[in-house]
Amino acid sequence: MHPTTAPAPPSPVPPTVPAVEVVDLRRRYGSFEAVRGISFEVHPGEVLAVLGVNGAGKTSALEVLEGLAAPSGGSVRVFGRDPQHERSAVRRHLGVLLQASGLPGDLTVAETVRPWGRTLTDPRPVGEALEMVDLAGRADVRVRSLSGGERRRLDLTLALLGRPAVLVLDEPTTGLDPESRRSVWTLVRGLVDDGAAVVLTTHHLEEAEQLADRIAIMRAGRIVLAGTREEIAATQPATITFTLTADAPALPSLPGVRAHTRRPDVELHTRALQPALTALLTWAAEHRVVLAGLQARSASLERAFLAVADAEPAAAEPAAADPAA
Amino acid sequence: MTVLAAPTASGARRRVLALAGAETRLLLRNRTAVVNSVLMPLLLVAAVRAIGLDTAGGNQLVVTGLGITLLFVTYYNLVTTYVARREDLVLQRMRTGELTGPEILLGTAVPTLLVTLAQVALVTAGVTVIGEWSAPVDVVLPLLALVLGAALMVVLAAASTAFTRTAESAQITTLPLVMGATVGSGLFTPLSVFPEALAGVLRFLPLTPVVELAQLGLTGRAWDGRAVDLAGAWSAAVLPLAVLAAWTIVGGLLAGRVFRWAPRR
Repeated sequence: MHPTTAPAPPSPVPPTVPAVEVVDLRRRYGSFEAVRGISFEVHPGEVLAVLGVNGAGKTSALEVLEGLAAPSGGSVRVFGRDPQHERSAVRRHLGVLLQASGLPGDLTVAETVRPWGRTLTDPRPVGEALEMVDLAGRADVRVRSLSGGERRRLDLTLALLGRPAVLVLDEPTTGLDPESRRSVWTLVRGLVDDGAAVVLTTHHLEEAEQLADRIAIMRAGRIVLAGTREEIAATQPATITFTLTADAPALPSLPGVRAHTRRPDVELHTRALQPALTALLTWAAEHRVVLAGLQARSASLERAFLAVADAEPAAAEPAAADPAA
Repeated sequence: MTVLAAPTASGARRRVLALAGAETRLLLRNRTAVVNSVLMPLLLVAAVRAIGLDTAGGNQLVVTGLGITLLFVTYYNLVTTYVARREDLVLQRMRTGELTGPEILLGTAVPTLLVTLAQVALVTAGVTVIGEWSAPVDVVLPLLALVLGAALMVVLAAASTAFTRTAESAQITTLPLVMGATVGSGLFTPLSVFPEALAGVLRFLPLTPVVELAQLGLTGRAWDGRAVDLAGAWSAAVLPLAVLAAWTIVGGLLAGRVFRWAPRR
């Protein structure tokens, strides 16, 4: 895939105006509030990944950004404009990939892309658009005959066809094989390098790690954790594991460390990995203790995600650990 | 800020034509639909020819053909098409682009409107070929009936999607309009056979003014059966034109309020 030509944001916009600005967004279906007051900004050249389990409110929030639904509270702006009430002004700068969408099966790939281009203000050439998603060789194939992954890449090329400055991608790589997924990542990175602002949702933590400058984790309609990958991972304690022989002396109490011991296995949790590890190794050297299978690692995004994304609201605070053994 | 350019009318035309082109290509791919569209009006003319025309003559057949086409092709087809496109998530995807809602509905309707035109033209040609065509009193009124009638069918079809869950259920949900118009619009049974009070009410059904206008121009007969000349046709056309315009406006407003772009979740 070859990201080409810059989707330049509208040039007279001062750099202080965010590409996307969401303030206290709420969305209600009857008595159920699917989005309960979320806020975020995305600037040109930046990727925000919204993570969350199914039903967390990701798609409901994006639909407002896409101009497909009205918020029940709060506001959404794209380059300072309301995507629903100033639809025609926002549209040409917005590229949207819906989580699921339909295409007539009896048209070929080229016959699908060409007329879509004619509905846009500044479309890419059809050939270039198909190159970008590696579908150039499938231009004359009916949509009905495409594989699921090819269909998804066709959806993507339609979203990119108008050289959008803001891309909203709802689960862009769901259903793609690992190789296609990686080429979509390369494509998105290229667009971002050219100045596009991207908001994407995903179930794949690796996708968020690979693409996102910032990550927001949603649960039950709220953003429960937001920041860079490192910041989010740092909300969770680091882990040190090793095994002790039966005749080893008892572990000392290490500062800032919670121990979970089930002899011979020991697991230590700490938010200050380096001092804790230093203290541990010093103790082991002094007592000539062998720490078999020693591993020390910072928390992963996955661990942070699992800790907050699926937790019951009452147990929302991260890192509730057992008392030290 | 004025950085984001305003849309223009020429942009709207370009977008509708782009969508209409793709939709027409899609229709032409469906051979069965194309053959049916051509065969139906020809069969209508042939059947009438075989059975023998009543005294109303060939021009009345064109009026009937116009009414049937508007109901069964324009209205019924469009309800089915809009609902199928909605349930397939095609409409929702189109709304993510620069097309506006009305542009999507119009562009999607274009192949059906072309078939409507073609069928009316085929019936007229068929009537001429069998030598039953006679000079109409006026051609503007029948053309208004065709154009406004088609517009009305589009907005009523869009409004009808609100209570049509699947393309198949359109067979049921279109019945009120189809049956009402078949019985009470003067399409098959002249309004003059009904008691006058009832006929006066039936004139306010949506398809009745279309039939009235076509009849005034093509056969020179008013709804109560009296013969009219050109001036008489136009003075008798005021009420049906007003009723038709009112239905179209109300239908359009209603469609704007109730039309849903995505399936109910």
